[in-house]
Amino acid sequence: MSQELNMPLIRLLVVKDWQLFQKQLAALVLAGIVALALLGLAKPWSFYLGSLLLIVVLVAAACFAIGTSLLTERKEQTLAFVMSLPVSPLDMTVSKLAGNLITFGVPFLVLLLGTLLVILGTPLPDGLLTMAILLFGHVLLAYCLSLTVAMQVESEGWNLFVMITSMVLINPFIMLLGQIDSIREPARGNDIVWSTPALAILAAQILLSLAALGYILWRHRRRAAFY
Amino acid sequence: MTAAFAVSGLCKRYPQFELKDLNLSLPEGTVMGLVGVNGAGKTTLLRLLTGIAAPDAGQVEVLGRRLPEAQVAAKRDIGFASEDMRLYRSQSLDWHMQLMRQIYPAWDESYAQHLIQRFDLNPAQALAGFSHGQRVKALLMLCLARRPRLLLLDEPTTGLDPVARMEVLESLADVLRDDQRSVLFSSHNTHDVEQLADSIAFLHRGQLIAHADKESFLDNWRRLLCLGQAPGNLKAWPELAQVRAAGSQIEIKVRAWREDLPQRLDAIGLSVQRADPMTLEDIFVTTVRAGGVA
Repeated sequence: MSQELNMPLIRLLVVKDWQLFQKQLAALVLAGIVALALLGLAKPWSFYLGSLLLIVVLVAAACFAIGTSLLTERKEQTLAFVMSLPVSPLDMTVSKLAGNLITFGVPFLVLLLGTLLVILGTPLPDGLLTMAILLFGHVLLAYCLSLTVAMQVESEGWNLFVMITSMVLINPFIMLLGQIDSIREPARGNDIVWSTPALAILAAQILLSLAALGYILWRHRRRAAFY
Repeated sequence: MTAAFAVSGLCKRYPQFELKDLNLSLPEGTVMGLVGVNGAGKTTLLRLLTGIAAPDAGQVEVLGRRLPEAQVAAKRDIGFASEDMRLYRSQSLDWHMQLMRQIYPAWDESYAQHLIQRFDLNPAQALAGFSHGQRVKALLMLCLARRPRLLLLDEPTTGLDPVARMEVLESLADVLRDDQRSVLFSSHNTHDVEQLADSIAFLHRGQLIAHADKESFLDNWRRLLCLGQAPGNLKAWPELAQVRAAGSQIEIKVRAWREDLPQRLDAIGLSVQRADPMTLEDIFVTTVRAGGVA
């Protein structure tokens, strides 16, 4: 059974989510810019503080997007209002997916681009670029996995568990990258090196993220009703 | 007459609850009150009628469309408001109205403004500052101003103060003057149902236990007070829903009143002192207690 998407309404629902969260997202982007400014100072203390703040902002943006558009909507019972509109479950899934990817994607891309510019345009070693992209890749993957679970599982407890666990794993991930010579060593120099392990990790992050998003659409494409 | 909705053999199972083999229809342009205690299945039925929930068995047809398959088209003509539905707290009523205008081409701005004045709502205020009554009225305004052909309301007056309740009921009465619009509203407040509905359905433990037009309900039921000794087999009379000794009197609740009943009771030694009409609430409670046979 193939369903026709109600694109005008999907667009309206995406805009609705954007309008609901734009102020908070602007605040997150602002905090991210402060983090990038600290990184750009290229001092040991500011680098440490800036990278920590940047990770916190990225994790907050991911959790905020999922938490507000999915978990809070269920908790505050506004979901029932949206379901009463002329939408099918697939319309709703696509709008939630698109709305989430935009509310998270905009700050994510702004901060990714900003980080790359800071690395390339300041005295920081250019070789850091590979590691920075891999860290952004981890946040993207953790976000996609959390989004998949949030759209499948109604339990708030499980959603928080997956969100926190996947995001917290960034610490062991940084340690893991530090153990791989072909990633650690170039990060200290000015040459941007994409070694085989680095490329393999990035490919795995992108493929798994896409697989998670594809799984959501696959699971919801045949749903005739919400309950 | 075409049906605003018709369900047949409808079943929906949840772990703790089951809606069983429901057959019900609402002629277009009429109002049906759905009465039942909490957990009777009212919300489940309304969700099935909007296509939000899919039945496990049976058929649902709303405004000539099969649900849940055609729910998108059907929901363009349905106004649905339920007790567990909330608007966005951070946004104003104006923001919600703008959303509705974009979704529903039939949105009636002048009627919306009329309802805003009538309900004394401030469109610029964020919903977080609204009282419960104002939130209910705002939701109802958003439903009514889109001019739906079928209005489905789940407990629209629950939790409202008497003034707000009266305003909501009066607005619904206005809607009902238009004989092209149909309304199904659920409530456990039988006074509201008695005031508005053309027909009444009693739902209990997932089953339809009675369905008739309001006048039939009120005409068929009587509460009799009798003097005398009730014979043991009196409870087996099919037209009697309840027989109870109250001091020296016998109270009988009749589900199928006929003018010759006092004479028949007199013949077995029961003298009827009073025969009073019953309220819908009393009829509902008696029906439920009698094991769901009206």
